Amino acid sequence: MTAFGLKDAFVMKFRFFALCLTLFCASFGVAHAQQGPLRIEITEGVIEPLPFAVPSFQPESAEAGQMAANLAQVVAQDLIGTGLFREIPASAFISTVSDFNAPVQYADWKAINAQALVTGAVNVQGNSLSVKFRLYDVFSGAELGSGLQFTGTADGWRRMAHKVADAVYARITGEGPYFDSRVVYVSETGPKDARAKRLAIMDYDGANVQYLTDSSVIVLAPRFSPSGDRVLYTSYESGFPRIYVLDIGSVQRRVLESADGTMSFAPRFSPSGQTVVFSLTQGGNTDIYTMDIASGASTRLTNTPAIETAPSYSPDGGRIVFESDRSGTQQLYVMSASGGEAQRISFGEGRYGTPVWSPRGDLVAFTKQNKGRFHIGVMRLDGSEERLLTASFLDEGPTWAPNGRVIMFARETQGEGGSSTLYSVDISGRNLRPVQTPQGGSDPSWSPLQK
Amino acid sequence: MNTGQYISGAGHLGLIGWVLLGGVFAAEPEPAQVTEVSVISSAEFDAMVAAATSPDQVTEIAQPAAPEVAPDTPNLASQADSVIQQPAPLQSETPPADMPPEVTELALPPEAEVDDTAPVLEEPAGDIAVLVPEIAPQAVAWPVERVAPEPVAQPAPDVTPDVAQQDAVTPDATDTPVEQESQEATAPEEATTEIVTEAAIAPARSARPPGRRPAAQPVTQAAAAPVQTAPAQTDDVDAAAIAAAVAAAQVTAPAAVVPSGPPLSAGEKESLRVAVSSCWNVGSLSSEALQTTVTVSVAMNTDGTPIVGSISLDGSSGGSTAAARQAFEAARRAIIRCGASGFKLPSDKYGQWQNIEMTFNPERMRVK
Repeated sequence: MTAFGLKDAFVMKFRFFALCLTLFCASFGVAHAQQGPLRIEITEGVIEPLPFAVPSFQPESAEAGQMAANLAQVVAQDLIGTGLFREIPASAFISTVSDFNAPVQYADWKAINAQALVTGAVNVQGNSLSVKFRLYDVFSGAELGSGLQFTGTADGWRRMAHKVADAVYARITGEGPYFDSRVVYVSETGPKDARAKRLAIMDYDGANVQYLTDSSVIVLAPRFSPSGDRVLYTSYESGFPRIYVLDIGSVQRRVLESADGTMSFAPRFSPSGQTVVFSLTQGGNTDIYTMDIASGASTRLTNTPAIETAPSYSPDGGRIVFESDRSGTQQLYVMSASGGEAQRISFGEGRYGTPVWSPRGDLVAFTKQNKGRFHIGVMRLDGSEERLLTASFLDEGPTWAPNGRVIMFARETQGEGGSSTLYSVDISGRNLRPVQTPQGGSDPSWSPLQK
Repeated sequence: MNTGQYISGAGHLGLIGWVLLGGVFAAEPEPAQVTEVSVISSAEFDAMVAAATSPDQVTEIAQPAAPEVAPDTPNLASQADSVIQQPAPLQSETPPADMPPEVTELALPPEAEVDDTAPVLEEPAGDIAVLVPEIAPQAVAWPVERVAPEPVAQPAPDVTPDVAQQDAVTPDATDTPVEQESQEATAPEEATTEIVTEAAIAPARSARPPGRRPAAQPVTQAAAAPVQTAPAQTDDVDAAAIAAAVAAAQVTAPAAVVPSGPPLSAGEKESLRVAVSSCWNVGSLSSEALQTTVTVSVAMNTDGTPIVGSISLDGSSGGSTAAARQAFEAARRAIIRCGASGFKLPSDKYGQWQNIEMTFNPERMRVK
């Protein structure tokens, strides 16, 4: 009886303490709800082009009138071309910018939903051109970054426009710039069975095409050096495929050393620019070699009876990704730049080829052949997150933009009258579009950003 | 009738007769080939057979003498072969005996409870027209510039794109007493729920299933503690403790300056979340900014619009400072754009949403 009484008292006491605790918690809880902020988490957004406005730039000299309009147009084209931006046409503008230094009427731009506004001023004196620009974040009512001025020649006005667009693009997206870059590719004319091929170089958007070789011999697979001043390519000049190095400035070329009875192809520069990695066929077996360009000394990296080809360096030069059929079908492998054990990274259906390491180092672009169709795709270096970006009769030869966000490749159409065209696509798979070149093109190689 | 039978009988007789006697009228059989056979006696036959017997085999042919071969015995010093030392075979360990597979008795599935009573079916009140369900043609993923949490069909061409859907209002020409403000029809832009790449449009590949919608976050309601009067049988210490607790609770509760009301309901929070989401455009963000989660705090006006100057970055994770800045700018644009006409928030609960802390987590948006 006494025991029961004690227990009863204990239970009562416990209840009272619990009650006290509840009261305290309740009071704190209420206070907290009233004083602390409301917390929400947003995990779903939209992905859409950001609307921007580029009113015609302000001419600051008499000669600059046409140039100002052209520059603004190229800046807008660059931004639209990324697929990340949408231009608001001038017809929708409520107010115009008449003075580069005057404050911006944010309300007028907000009303037409322009989220970014680019204003600029152009000064032309003879052949010297200077361009100033400012970028505004309309909705926060502030300038994004500060005004910037570029000076150059009037002949190179497109590069100036690309520079402005690069700065705008980098400030809004946080991605590295890439508009001020060039692409070397194989220009193709004529039908499939008698196609004339010559090396050509152009701006990233297809403007300013220049030819580096004539179409008398077959040329293949040009590759930019990391400094952007030389190009490696394979030519059948001697009737046999051999690797040449071409200096873009002087258009002088020299052939790399190679032993008789061997066939070397698929060359690519190392990030240092001093070494070339390529594949070499000797006695019916193809393996990967590196060669020091200055001395001509070569080192063998793989030694298997399988075909190893299409090597590509990582941006730090420490590793090489390549394709091999040692498992029975073409797959992608990664090994140390000094050779040794390779690790397979591609495990999907179909055949994988021509891997290219992204300049950011995070992804590998590749060509995939599966069920009679070709794809350009990207995957991480461990083979995960494989994403196919395109699908067609024949897509091949991916190359990375300097910022690692865009891929250019060649697409060949079916049939006798088929032709090859250069295309570009964002690594999200959006914004697939052809690159305007005067003739057909294949085997593009993107240069680094120009200085 | 008889005529018919006669005709039938005559016909049948004729047919039978033709079958039996038809051969008579057939053409003469082909002349048989005749071969002349000569008859021979048994003696002649024996003689013929004897002539055919094979000749005797003669085996007495002189065999050539075998050539004499002088055996060239090599001059070898006879020496005993050295014994080759062979290593003793390695004793491999006997592998452990295979374990017999464990056979587990599968438990019988629980017996379903069968109810004998027939379900009571309600009689239909009358004839019900069964509508043929409209089966839409299979949806085909189509690349659209905009990717949003909810797919949006292509709006009519004469509609101004806007975040909110709104019908056109044209002031009536007739004399209406109420002044009507004319406004354009607006509708959200066409959108898909995920990025459609060319490879995804492929006929042989099915589209990815849409990402899982996040479950609405449960709202923790601060339950008001039921205040009870102390039971009579308590001792004084407990009563004093309760009194102190109640007093403390009353003191710590501040005097409400603004109408605070109860916390926002899950639905009210969700509508705010959706409103901000529809303007949060991550399409122009760098890959690194798409891996950066930012927490943004904003103070609100009573009419539900954000105070632009108060929007600040509270914290970030997952990316560099530069990436956090891009992510914050995108978040700020979202709050300002969609809050321009005021978020739909209950004004009697202003105290609850006077300050809002929004966490923008782009993880779901990265690979859409």
